[in-house]
Amino acid sequence: MSATLGLDAARAVDPARYALGGLAPRWALKPSSVAEVVEALRAASRDRLRVLPWGGGTRLGRAAPTGAYDVALDLGALDRIVEYEPEDFTLTAQCGATLRSLRAALAARGQELPLESPHHTRATLGGTLAVNGSGPRRLRFGSPADRLLGARFVLGDGTVARSGGKVVKNVAGLAVHRLLCGSRGRLAVILEASLKLAPGPEKRVTLLFGASAAQLAERQRWSALPRLEPSYLTVLGAAAARALPEARLPEAPFVVAMGLEDDAEWVAEQEARVIEALGAPAARREGDDSLSISQALADAQTGDGPILAFTSAHKTPAALAPILRRAGAEGLVSHAAAGRLHWFLDEGDDPTALVRELRAAGYVLIDRGRVNLEPPVAPEVAILDLRERLRVALDPSATLAAVEG
Amino acid sequence: MPSEHLDELRVLLGADGVLESRAARFTYEADALALEKHLPDAIVLPRTTDEVAAVVRWARARGLPIVPRGAGTGLAGGATAEHGGLVLSVNRMDRILSVDDERMFAWVQPGVVNLELSRRLAERGLYYAPDPASQQVSTVGGNVATNAGGPHCLKYGVTLNHVLGVVAVLHDGAVVSLGGAAPDAPDFDLATIVIGSEGTLAIVTEICVRLLPRPQAVKTILFDFARVEQACRAVSTTIAAGIIPAAMEIMDQHTVAVVEAWLHLGLPLDAGAVLLIEVDGPAAGLERLAERVVGLAQAEGARSVRVARDDAERAAIWKGRKSAFGAYGRAASGFYIMDGVVPRTRLAEALAGVSRLCDERGLKSGNVFHAGDGNLHPHVLFDADDPRQQAAALEASHEILRMCIRMGGTISGEHGVGIEKRPMMRELFAPEDLAVMERTRAAFDPERRLNPGKILPGVDDGVRGPAQLGGMHGGGSAEGPWI
Repeated sequence: MSATLGLDAARAVDPARYALGGLAPRWALKPSSVAEVVEALRAASRDRLRVLPWGGGTRLGRAAPTGAYDVALDLGALDRIVEYEPEDFTLTAQCGATLRSLRAALAARGQELPLESPHHTRATLGGTLAVNGSGPRRLRFGSPADRLLGARFVLGDGTVARSGGKVVKNVAGLAVHRLLCGSRGRLAVILEASLKLAPGPEKRVTLLFGASAAQLAERQRWSALPRLEPSYLTVLGAAAARALPEARLPEAPFVVAMGLEDDAEWVAEQEARVIEALGAPAARREGDDSLSISQALADAQTGDGPILAFTSAHKTPAALAPILRRAGAEGLVSHAAAGRLHWFLDEGDDPTALVRELRAAGYVLIDRGRVNLEPPVAPEVAILDLRERLRVALDPSATLAAVEG
Repeated sequence: MPSEHLDELRVLLGADGVLESRAARFTYEADALALEKHLPDAIVLPRTTDEVAAVVRWARARGLPIVPRGAGTGLAGGATAEHGGLVLSVNRMDRILSVDDERMFAWVQPGVVNLELSRRLAERGLYYAPDPASQQVSTVGGNVATNAGGPHCLKYGVTLNHVLGVVAVLHDGAVVSLGGAAPDAPDFDLATIVIGSEGTLAIVTEICVRLLPRPQAVKTILFDFARVEQACRAVSTTIAAGIIPAAMEIMDQHTVAVVEAWLHLGLPLDAGAVLLIEVDGPAAGLERLAERVVGLAQAEGARSVRVARDDAERAAIWKGRKSAFGAYGRAASGFYIMDGVVPRTRLAEALAGVSRLCDERGLKSGNVFHAGDGNLHPHVLFDADDPRQQAAALEASHEILRMCIRMGGTISGEHGVGIEKRPMMRELFAPEDLAVMERTRAAFDPERRLNPGKILPGVDDGVRGPAQLGGMHGGGSAEGPWI
């Protein structure tokens, strides 16, 4: 058994940098090519070592993987753009490319990467897909699977395969690439992914409003909005809002950030209608300033404690009414138009009652933030079985390690 | 099928829930890929998820395959009972279960007809966006099975992008909810792989569809060009300019001729191609957008610009496009239709390739396609009574799809693989790719009884090769197959 799994010694990196929950892997490797990733996985599978694929490490959290943690496989060096066809609005890139680097390449052609993640300077393409990541602009971009045209991936035993393709319309074959969205690396390691890009909007505007709990809870206040097409509608508790790149924030318990990204005329008309419904904004930002706010909304996090993530079918902040007066609401971040809610706990908080109330309000807990908390609804046994059969089918030697979401 | 089996099924579904007469079995022997005919043992017509689950458990106990079927408009043989067993028709599962206006989703049964769903939502100002040309008859369930597209998926996306979740029956009769109105269910995205799996992974029994508000305004514009290459370039430059119209459809000269001969819509017969562009959305900005589109098309040589003045004219323009398939049926006794995709910037090159491959074999061809998506539908015409011409047409069809693969595209953009394109999967994918898909399927359906044999080439398909690529015989009916 070799510490470098057959790779050049230069690929070995300091395992301490990959510690999770206080546990460092025995080895850490940073392969420089697809061939080296394949080689390392073959060796690991043969030697019965468990490998945890690493992107930017932004979503691995602080808990150790379940089971052994032998090898951290840092994919950050696989960061090339393989094929960018601006006139086709398609991009194929390697898994380790950061969202920021991809955005920069596309911005030069006025195009947008339809993926979001906190910490875009570190978050990678492969990692964002693997965690099924999304952000405030989910309404505009859809889910990763909505945008993913195809992928090349490697199984735990080193088998390289692909599904889908690079063209915008394709129904040939089973869409294994879509199955990998949300798999957190347990089924396969994504090597390369092809995406359907979005045209950059003609105009971007962010409107910031202050709001009280009572104002947020008023249903009719928001009733005009579903027929508008905001790119995002995010509610932040006053504490969470302090992360925004704004010198003067509204003096209110909550801040509402509304993003309009579209044809200039349509943006202007929507802005007028929003102001009619909500009053004059406390602040208004355009262009790159608006874009910076949307990234700040993706990043927004209160404190360093565990994060609970919820999803719902709701489209307006009014659905948050039952929890707006709870202690801790000052830290919440809700991408309300996309149904998402992030609640930030302090160490030692017991969120049982909160989760129960949110469940009653139609919110499903999708990330327990490694809090010792029973899922409010046990997943269906048949689904758990199916997931396990899929895992065994694609990674029978259990080479790929699992980190719970 | 033994009468005691039929009796057991009738206990599960009621007397009218089981069809087994010879006439009924012949009705279900094929879908719109008429060359592949296989008689099912019986047809079952459940009404609910529980009834589907009961049938699945019953069939499992008897080792019988189950082939789910919507309206049977599929062009790839996906709904044909190639290995016998039960055809499970969703035609009686045609209820809209619930509609949430405010949050804009609905739960529907799979047998709801696509266009009927939008009709019933019209009074709420909402609609279901995917619009395959078959939408007057095809079902939402069938659309989910093939991940159906349609002209407007250029802007709005395909079925995948409009399905939030499904309730599905697994191989053993277990009922599971995958996804739902709340997005981003945790863990692997199981719903999105079931969509487009042609009934091979699970049987979808309830569907949560995303609804959209009706666009405030629509502009439908018809351009004509001297040469089809110019029309293709107009498509590329429009998209490259960051404009994603609702639809961009091209018909070449041959297609215009057969449509015009049939329907007399006033399409320009001397044009090398007509390009239909539709833009829609909020009224604000739409006029300016249409002007930009017209300017770009004129810069590429558009000879005339016809903007539909009202709904009637708009419908007439679309009728021409949607009737192309039927028109071909009138023009030749037989034709093969393909569903290849190329990068949209290479459309002109691909069309030149189609012409060359057909000319070399002395065959006529026509093209009508979703240009904005690079999704080609070449029609290769032949005399159905001339086996040599038919063989040449088959060969040309195969070469056209090979060309799509070489150009970085694919063999099916929206019709599915089914039986028809199964052998070509070996040309599109490496053995390792297919093995991973097979392992994935086996995890869902270890006994391979859900629509067995579809999509993935089996051991004996290699020898049959492309000879299995199917074709259509002309009939001249607009009610026939659809593209």
